[in-house]
Amino acid sequence: MWLKFKASIQKEFLLLIRDKAGLAILFIMPMALVLIMTLLQDSSFKAIGEKQLPLLIVNHDADTFGLRIIEGLKSSQFFKVVEEIEGQKLDEKALVKQVEDGNFQIGIVIHPQATHAIRESVKRKIQGQFPDDELFALDPTMTQVPAKVDIFFDPVTKQSFKQVIISALRQYASMVEANIMFSIYAQMFNDLLGVSVSMDEEFGSMVVFDQQYASTLKSNTIPNSAQHNVPAWTIFAMFFIVIPLASNIIKERDSGLERRLRTLPGSYSAILVGKTMVYFIIGLLQAVSMLLMGVFVLPYFDMPSLNIGNAYAPLLLITIAVSLAATSYGILLGTVATSHEQSSIFGAISVVILAAIGGVWVPTFMMNDLMKQVSQLSPLNWGLNGYYDVFLRSAAIEDVFQYLLLLMAFMLSCLVATFAYNRLKRKT
Amino acid sequence: MKPESYIWIENLRKRYKHAKADAVHQLSLGIDQAEIFGLLGPNGAGKTTTISILCQQLTATSGSFYVNGHHYQHDKEKIKKIIGVVPQDIALYPQLTAYENLKFFGNLYGLKGKILKSYIHRHLERFGLLDRVNDRIEDYSGGMKRRINLIAGILHKPQIIFLDEPTVGIDVQSKTVIIEYLKELNKKGTTIVYTSHHMEEAEQFCSRIAILDQGRIIENGSPAQLIESYETCQSLEDIFLHLTGRKLRD
Repeated sequence: MWLKFKASIQKEFLLLIRDKAGLAILFIMPMALVLIMTLLQDSSFKAIGEKQLPLLIVNHDADTFGLRIIEGLKSSQFFKVVEEIEGQKLDEKALVKQVEDGNFQIGIVIHPQATHAIRESVKRKIQGQFPDDELFALDPTMTQVPAKVDIFFDPVTKQSFKQVIISALRQYASMVEANIMFSIYAQMFNDLLGVSVSMDEEFGSMVVFDQQYASTLKSNTIPNSAQHNVPAWTIFAMFFIVIPLASNIIKERDSGLERRLRTLPGSYSAILVGKTMVYFIIGLLQAVSMLLMGVFVLPYFDMPSLNIGNAYAPLLLITIAVSLAATSYGILLGTVATSHEQSSIFGAISVVILAAIGGVWVPTFMMNDLMKQVSQLSPLNWGLNGYYDVFLRSAAIEDVFQYLLLLMAFMLSCLVATFAYNRLKRKT
Repeated sequence: MKPESYIWIENLRKRYKHAKADAVHQLSLGIDQAEIFGLLGPNGAGKTTTISILCQQLTATSGSFYVNGHHYQHDKEKIKKIIGVVPQDIALYPQLTAYENLKFFGNLYGLKGKILKSYIHRHLERFGLLDRVNDRIEDYSGGMKRRINLIAGILHKPQIIFLDEPTVGIDVQSKTVIIEYLKELNKKGTTIVYTSHHMEEAEQFCSRIAILDQGRIIENGSPAQLIESYETCQSLEDIFLHLTGRKLRD
């Protein structure tokens, strides 16, 4: 039995190292996939979080409101304020054209006298508080003209971007209103009581927002896009081993080798286990290479490095379980599929579907309730959740045990189905 | 019932799923030890199916068989250990060398170390392939592949060899080497069960033949006896055509 197992491993190893294209598929392509997808997902991730969004601005209000908006947007980590193109100051028409052409997603025009309009509006509100007092009598010549800011959006602009920019502008407007209101009241105190009131700092920074990641587990790992993307695409790539593995099994069957092997003493399962073992090790090597790439290569592409934490035992167990699940799925596929075409098309599409519902592309928290339920059926989701727990929460083995159990159950189901199918096929 | 021959087949029947007729129908046959037994028949007669069942590749729909007294179901492993199978397909790994292929199959038969090396060396030398031992099978000619295909099935010195058209598609030289070697093995006591479309080859090679058609044995005996019993036939081929007709088979 051991000799048969060993011979099978040696044979598979030799076949693998002689197949250069196959090796490329097994190692280079998954690494390229992880890198490209992480880069793409990272930029998308940053678009609503970390990446600075270019913003065109034409400011006709050379007063507090206009200046405060520009100053606020410039100091924000979300926006990159652009007021000139090729050294030329923009006018409203040029701004609209730039947005219309898709060169910028958002353009802002601050109309003249915006600060003056806010100031007048605030004065009006204050005067409205004291209708009977002569001192605060409304000036009948004052007309209420709102401060106007036009925002131009590219039609493809995400709703989230729109919300972010509108919220930011509202915040700056409120701060300016508050400051104006304070300065008017200060002037009033000075005029009525002879008390000088001054403001040391502007409104807006009175509440401290302390951002923390909720976790009952001890972790020093700061989540970043690599923590999400690298494990997700690593699992996706690991499952793609089903295609070369299934192809290998079909090739063996079509060439008559499988029939010959079945006539030999001992169980055919030993040969199959040997094959599984080699592809399982390939899966582990794939995972190691892709995770190392996340740690060492991603920073060269201006991306955060993957922090694998220090929960090494759970990390190893999850990786082993994912590799076993992927390999056993490949064996089932190779056994059931009747041709290379069938196995490669079905294999690829099924992995893509399992990845899609498993939260590789779209995180499960963004899915609707039905899809959230469905996602729990995908082995890629189990592996992904396990990796998240390990990387983001420094989970212990018992924390990822449920995912290990599910992945092992998936593996056993595939192997039992393979065994049953083989028995049935030999009888018919 | 106690087996009366070395290979004893009783009412063997095989019907494939969705097939309208049996591929092998109530086939009963006895093959003696050290016989060279030929299973002849047109395409679809049931030759390969019969051999596949005997060497445990397929499961029979009904019937039973014994090999050297071992029951086909209860003693599967014992049967597998004493048989060697040479399939019609070149069932080898093209990307591996001849040595690597033979080492793999030798290991699967339980051979290892110096014994395995010496067996491989001896067979390759006998079949004129020693100088190509480290070449990949994909670089071999059809005749060379066929010879390695044979060696992979007989390397472990089986008591019974099942050969499914072992000389198909090869030149006269390769065919002669293969047939001569099989005769040598037979002289040493190896039982050979073989299928072929080459009537002349079967006539010279086999000690006994059975002609199959539509899953049934329609004639059985030594080539000489058969030729004698059909007065109008000069050769095995004449008998074959006489019994199976000239209608094309698929």
